[in-house]
Amino acid sequence: MPLKSKIEELQKRKEEVLQGGGEQAIAKQVAMGKLTARERVLALLDEDSFHEYDLFVEHDARDFGMDGKILHGDGVIIGTGTVFGAPVAVFAQDFTVAGGSLGSMHARKITKIMDYALRMRIPLIGINDSGGARIQEGVNSLAGYGEIFWRNTLSSGIIPQLSVILGPCAGGAVYSPALTDFVFVVDKISKMFITGPEVIKSVLGEEISQDDLGGAMVHAAITGNAHFYAESEIECFEQIKKLITFIPWNNSRKARRFEPKEPKPEFNINNIVPNDPKQPYDVRDVIKALADDSDFFEIQELWAANIVIGFGRLNGETVGFVANQPLVMAGVLDVDSSDKAARFIRYCDAFNIPLCTLVDLPGYLPGIDQEHAGVIRHGAKLLYAYSEASVPKMTVILRKAYGGGYIAMSSRHLRADFVFAWPGAEIAVMGPEGAANIIFRKEITEAANPEEMRRKKVEEYKEKFANPYVAASKGYIDTVIEPKETRKLLLHALEVSSTKIADRPTKKHGIPPF
Amino acid sequence: MSLSRLDKKQLTAFIPGTIIDVKVKVGQPVNQGEILVILDAMKMHNRILAPINSIVKEVNVKPNDRVQKGFVMIVLE
Repeated sequence: MPLKSKIEELQKRKEEVLQGGGEQAIAKQVAMGKLTARERVLALLDEDSFHEYDLFVEHDARDFGMDGKILHGDGVIIGTGTVFGAPVAVFAQDFTVAGGSLGSMHARKITKIMDYALRMRIPLIGINDSGGARIQEGVNSLAGYGEIFWRNTLSSGIIPQLSVILGPCAGGAVYSPALTDFVFVVDKISKMFITGPEVIKSVLGEEISQDDLGGAMVHAAITGNAHFYAESEIECFEQIKKLITFIPWNNSRKARRFEPKEPKPEFNINNIVPNDPKQPYDVRDVIKALADDSDFFEIQELWAANIVIGFGRLNGETVGFVANQPLVMAGVLDVDSSDKAARFIRYCDAFNIPLCTLVDLPGYLPGIDQEHAGVIRHGAKLLYAYSEASVPKMTVILRKAYGGGYIAMSSRHLRADFVFAWPGAEIAVMGPEGAANIIFRKEITEAANPEEMRRKKVEEYKEKFANPYVAASKGYIDTVIEPKETRKLLLHALEVSSTKIADRPTKKHGIPPF
Repeated sequence: MSLSRLDKKQLTAFIPGTIIDVKVKVGQPVNQGEILVILDAMKMHNRILAPINSIVKEVNVKPNDRVQKGFVMIVLE
């Protein structure tokens, strides 16, 4: 056969496979408001950067009439490309081919690209759109899932792993995204659950729609399983691309450095935090007043919003911001907010991203439901994560820092490298009301007018202890600064800690309270 | 089945506290982000905001009321 014909044959074979599940299946996919797997990969990656592998892989199932069935690419696309010039490995399940079901060759393609990503130390992006295990392939499907989970765990903390849920992702399949660093969901398209509505109905008699059980908003606002919520697939891809600019390719690198930019003048740091500690404000405005170009990329915006986490840049370098949010539930720490912040801190630590913590909280949330939900164990995650983190850690106490909350929020005692406090900071063992009631109980109860005595004692306590100077006198905070000095000091702190060495005793691994 | 945590029409107290101020009346139209009630709890004058554009259907609190956790303070249409 002459070369020309061989090339023609290659082109013909490619054309056939590139049709995926065929016109009808593609029309169905479009009717569901979804892009096809290949459209997704092309929309996500830099133009002309995608290179596909294993296009000609076929399934090897013989039972249940699978013998003669042709499943193009076995229902998944794998390859490599770039996002804003950063190399990434990608897989995208193709729902038009046998519902994107996972058989053994389908899984082999995914694990091949996972192995590749780990070997090359580049980020892995997985696009999930699959009906689940391919029943005809039996236990081989389960083996495939297990192999994927094992690799997710092996790669954890070495390369960034992103999961994009663009269709159903149910049963065992949900555990791969859960093991990865960031999960992206899209309104009306994403569905994640362990057992679907049919099983719930037959076992428990409860009726619920797929969307109400495990739709995008459920995972973005209630469960915390998702990190980014988008209205459309295109918006979702923009979020992924933006995230890639903030994180390094792997754990032995730093994130890409950008041209430093001053914050925008509309975020005036002097006017954001009210003097009265009972008045709430949006702490994200403080972050925007500190970060380069006032650009703050928030993570898990809708879940446990009483703590704010996300990426910004200081002097061009990516920094992970963690901040109590007085606007939501007074900014308390609770089960969910501790869990949210702790995982983010560990992410930043694993990928050499310095941490900047902004403190203004009344403490841990009291209540029977919190205690019984295990706030001790979940709250401990935050202490563990901050103590363990060896990246540069900078803390700014904006206003309230009481009790256990003060210790937990990246205090000196958990080895923050720099602790700054604003003049209005109140650093004390507890709030003035509670403290005065305990310390001066006798004087208050025995006074002729107990209410007046209480007020007097609360004022007395406030004046003496509700300030930053007691903590400063012990060196627990390094310096008391004016709000307008904060960015300058953070930039300096970052500069002098770029060569930081934090020695830790050698161990196999710690045992965080998860 | 009602998904209380996604319910944007019933505004409940996240923790026991005291009502400082009620800014709306029954039948009043409200815009998303508008302050409905101020709840003093956890050392903060917490602003309870309208999560959607709507009309106030029920007001179950007045200033100085003590409310328990989960108490439905405002219902929107």
